[in-house]
Amino acid sequence: MTRFAFPCLKLTRDYLAAAVFTAITASTSVGFAAEKINIYSHRQQVLIQPFLDAFTSKTGIETNVVYSSKGLAQRLKAEGPASPADVILTVDIARLSEYADLDLLAPVDSSILRANIPSRLRSEDNRWFGFSERARILVTSKTRVAEGAVLDLEDLAKPEWKGRICSRAGSHDYNRALVASMIAAHGEAATETWARGVVDNLARKPQGNDRSQAKAIFQGLCDVAIMNSYYYGNMKFGDKADQKEWAQAIRLVFTNQSNRGNHMNISGGGVAKHAKNKAAAIAFLEFLTEEKAQHLYGKINFEYPVNPEVSVSGELASWGRFKPDNLPIERLAALAPKAQMIIDRVGW
Amino acid sequence: MVAAFLSNFARAQRQPVDRWSVGVILLCGLILGPVLAVLVAAFGDSGGLWSHLYDTVLGRYISNTLILMAGVGVVAIGFGVSSAWVVSRYDFTGRRILEWMLLLPAAIPAYIIAYSYTEFFEYAGPLQSGLRHLFGWQSPRDYWFPEIRSLGGAILVMASVLYPYIYMVTRIAFRLTPTSLFEIALVHNRSQFWQVGLPLARPAIMAGLALVMMEVMSDFGTVEFFAIETITLGIFNVWLGMNNLVAAAQISIVGFGFILALLGLELYARSRQQYVSSSRNQTPLAMLAPTKAGILACWAVCVIPLLFGFFIPVGVLLGLVATNDLLADFLAIRSIIGNTLIVAALAALVIMVLSAFIVVTATFRAGSKTRKLALFASTGYAFPGTILAIGVLIFTGQFDRAIAALLGAQFQGILITSIGVLFLAYIVRFQAVGYGAMISGVRRLPANMMNASRVLGQGYMDSIRRVIMPLLKSSFLAGMMLVFVDVMKELPMTLLLRPFNFDTLATYTYQFAKDEMLEVAALPALMIVLSGLVPVILMSAMLRRYR
Repeated sequence: MTRFAFPCLKLTRDYLAAAVFTAITASTSVGFAAEKINIYSHRQQVLIQPFLDAFTSKTGIETNVVYSSKGLAQRLKAEGPASPADVILTVDIARLSEYADLDLLAPVDSSILRANIPSRLRSEDNRWFGFSERARILVTSKTRVAEGAVLDLEDLAKPEWKGRICSRAGSHDYNRALVASMIAAHGEAATETWARGVVDNLARKPQGNDRSQAKAIFQGLCDVAIMNSYYYGNMKFGDKADQKEWAQAIRLVFTNQSNRGNHMNISGGGVAKHAKNKAAAIAFLEFLTEEKAQHLYGKINFEYPVNPEVSVSGELASWGRFKPDNLPIERLAALAPKAQMIIDRVGW
Repeated sequence: MVAAFLSNFARAQRQPVDRWSVGVILLCGLILGPVLAVLVAAFGDSGGLWSHLYDTVLGRYISNTLILMAGVGVVAIGFGVSSAWVVSRYDFTGRRILEWMLLLPAAIPAYIIAYSYTEFFEYAGPLQSGLRHLFGWQSPRDYWFPEIRSLGGAILVMASVLYPYIYMVTRIAFRLTPTSLFEIALVHNRSQFWQVGLPLARPAIMAGLALVMMEVMSDFGTVEFFAIETITLGIFNVWLGMNNLVAAAQISIVGFGFILALLGLELYARSRQQYVSSSRNQTPLAMLAPTKAGILACWAVCVIPLLFGFFIPVGVLLGLVATNDLLADFLAIRSIIGNTLIVAALAALVIMVLSAFIVVTATFRAGSKTRKLALFASTGYAFPGTILAIGVLIFTGQFDRAIAALLGAQFQGILITSIGVLFLAYIVRFQAVGYGAMISGVRRLPANMMNASRVLGQGYMDSIRRVIMPLLKSSFLAGMMLVFVDVMKELPMTLLLRPFNFDTLATYTYQFAKDEMLEVAALPALMIVLSGLVPVILMSAMLRRYR
């Protein structure tokens, strides 16, 4: 029985192997000619495409992208050594640290990256790097709130703002990081008291995204809102007439200027642990910290450059110079779970 | 080991090992693999998070989810069953158009409808602006208007696009109900709807309802946008906010438990009732002719769900694209349209063939355990797409390692790095839709059909091919249509599992809609709806022929 069965089995196995192998080589043969990097991106394609185009025209290295806002770390992990990904791009430190926690990033030894990125905006072990900074600020109604009436995040819990604040859900990445920065400054208990005060002052149930908070101010539903500053630029220069009106209605307030500085977050990335094109991947990260790309961050999405040599220009400069919170960005990720618990407890 | 398990399995059923049943068991195993991967992930250590969740948000998650499910269920049954009854029993002007139009809301993705509804109903939207203009109100403090971003709003929005799942199968059930039974009701002056149509359509309604419930359970787009804290929203808060995938998997099992309870309830209820007709529909059922007022009522019954599920959202989208350069936009996305149609059609075909195989074999060949396994294999539909996609990734990663160990290292990552992983995900998720369509078809077959064919000397395969499948054609097509539309608008799994530089209309729409750039998202969103039209019209025509 075995004598007959065995060769038969082997034959089938070989056929299967051949068929599968053909299918694989056929599907992966694209792009052998030119050098290329494969990117897993949590950033939307519309936002990163200009960087990719600039990189390709400078180096001749082609780029392939999979974009997804969630779960790419799990995909990378499941793919293991077979993964085709070379570069990871994300927004928010929480996502970067997810990759770091799962040990999915390769350490990168690059003097260019070290020189171009301040140490508080990259990981100690050189696995992830920040490429742009995003400021989470307060916006107030130009007509109903006097300039200087609100200065610090801490002010949001004051009784004078009862029924006048709008916010998106507390458990969104942006607000979670903001609460984490409060924990870093004041500790858990004080932050919880503060968060409870903010929730008590809300004009409506937390909802929508940052833009819709500006809209709510425009509509008179509330007077103060929490927003990432780049949304202001996007509304002001977008092609939607009504959003220009929303932008018109609000004043930007960089918070905590007399103490720790405005809460900041980053967009960033790293090289995948099992990257097949490590050199090209590192070249891409370096490119993102150089002057041309650093300016692009401001031009495309009104984000701030991380490279201290690159000056802020144009619209960004017109919003004024401000003091950023110098908290090492890694702390935000470490405190995020505690922040989420506070958010759950106060029902933000 | 596998062989031992299989033979035990068969012995437990007191039946010889049958290769058809073994095929079904293996297939169900493959489909359940990713679901089991999520369950296994839940067995990790969640670091004491549960007491926190229990103390704070879990109650809210569960009650919101239950209210949402109950609300959507009631409204969707109301919309789906009433319209199905009206178009199958009454003859009125416009019936033929309404009959297929009623399916259209199924083509509108939930995240699109949520965005466009907000656009329409919110303070600055056309409705409130119009009311303000009409009554001279100045600010939001002058009047009360229901908040669309609320539990009630979510119920309306979700029921409006989900009722076609119930409508589709219920309409077929009404149509296949033996004429003689309606005639009996007529003779005895009883209600044709309450005493004949509804009870006999119950299995179909339940099959549709199960799909709707699972869809509600797994929805993330709408509840996120409306900020309703359901179990699914909680899963994402725990996973992404607390970096705790284990606890997220555990919460998703809570939701999964709801679905199991629902399926169990349905099984139990069904086990006590049997609907079988041995007569053939020789005389086609005469349509009832409504009075003038009746025609109006018929129209109202059909147009109200269409208004909420189709006209309002599509109107909003049309208003947005009217300002764009349509041709340029269309040219920009034409390859994406191609991608979407090919992937959706292929997936729909594969899923329906598998579903037909599973349902037919489980019904006519296998024992009750295999039948339960087949039902269980459709539970992937109840998981949030992203969580299921992670299950698919974990499962595929293991599968690939096994292949590499078996066939050599050059096969490492063979499935996970190909588009096969995306198709597997579609199968795992939408098997439920195919299963639902086929099982409601099989349940309406006369019980002795198969036996009669076998007694007359036909083999099993011949009986299936010549007797059973022709009778199931309409169910097959109906299922294929639903799966096609479902795959076409599927977002989270496609987003995560797709190959490089690959977009479907859904992923393309989403990247703009996510940022509330609805005006750019409007055209691809409309294309999803339009592409949905083609199979809807095509298959409606075929359904009519196979009636």
